[in-house]
Amino acid sequence: MSGAFDSGIFATIAFYVASALTIASAIIVVTQRDLVRAVVALAMSFVGVAAIYFILNAEFIGVVQVLVYVGAISILIAFAVMFIGDLANAGTLSQNRLVSAIAALLLLASVIFVTYNTDWTAIDDVTDPDAVAGLAGQYEVTSSDSDDAVIRAVGAGAEEARGGALVDGSSHIGPFLIRELILPFETLGLLLIAALIGALIVIRGRREDDAA
Amino acid sequence: MTLEIVLVVAGALFSIGLFGVLARRNIIAVIMSLELMFNGVLVAAIGFSRFTVPAALVGASGDITESAVRASLTGHAFAVFVISIAAAETALALALVFAFYRAKQSVEITDASEMKN
Repeated sequence: MSGAFDSGIFATIAFYVASALTIASAIIVVTQRDLVRAVVALAMSFVGVAAIYFILNAEFIGVVQVLVYVGAISILIAFAVMFIGDLANAGTLSQNRLVSAIAALLLLASVIFVTYNTDWTAIDDVTDPDAVAGLAGQYEVTSSDSDDAVIRAVGAGAEEARGGALVDGSSHIGPFLIRELILPFETLGLLLIAALIGALIVIRGRREDDAA
Repeated sequence: MTLEIVLVVAGALFSIGLFGVLARRNIIAVIMSLELMFNGVLVAAIGFSRFTVPAALVGASGDITESAVRASLTGHAFAVFVISIAAAETALALALVFAFYRAKQSVEITDASEMKN
């Protein structure tokens, strides 16, 4: 079904390329015996996922993915691999690898089954021109009440949305987080500082016991 | 490109991660597989955000509010929170791995079967 929010053939091809890269790298991560190579494959997989985010109009999340996952978590895991030199049996899979593979394949099969047997509320069901223009970012605010601003399509509106972005997400995610999700957002900061302190205490604790 | 194929990719990523978590013996490799599972969930969240819309916009006839349009970014906000929590969790997990390695001189997950020490 072709609607106002189709991405076009190039985005589709790019999506398949990025997905192939991501899944191939992910398979290397779980099967590679050399942990250093597994970390590199993990970083590749993260880059592929970031590409998928960009193709799905989630530019902000794509940038965050590159910064946090590729830039921080991969490096953190690489440091862990380098610090812990005991890698003799690093690549060994456990005895229950067959059961694990069967469980993973069953999960994948059920995901595919449910996916193709569900009638998802499609974006193409949006028919109101103001709503289409809003999703395309082609709108102006008509009332000044900032909490419940009413929007109107401007310019080409819905027609310009054809093949375009769903929402200019990177300019709306900020107001969305600050206005409507401010409490969980601040709580997230608390969680991060708690995790930081917790990690330091876990690392330090043993050393103090040894000294005592 | 449809929502279905995005969800299949997300499910594949999650399943590969699940296999790694179940079958790997090295704790660091298990953490890497956990990250893959996180990414699978996030791809699904972003896919939903891209291909489905808030109920307020489907068949709407009255005024459309800006907050209703912004609600289509719920999946993005979800991803922001999950990425932050996953980063915190990874840092803490690797700290625990270091502590465990100091105590047992091992990173085998089968050696982590007792709570003492």
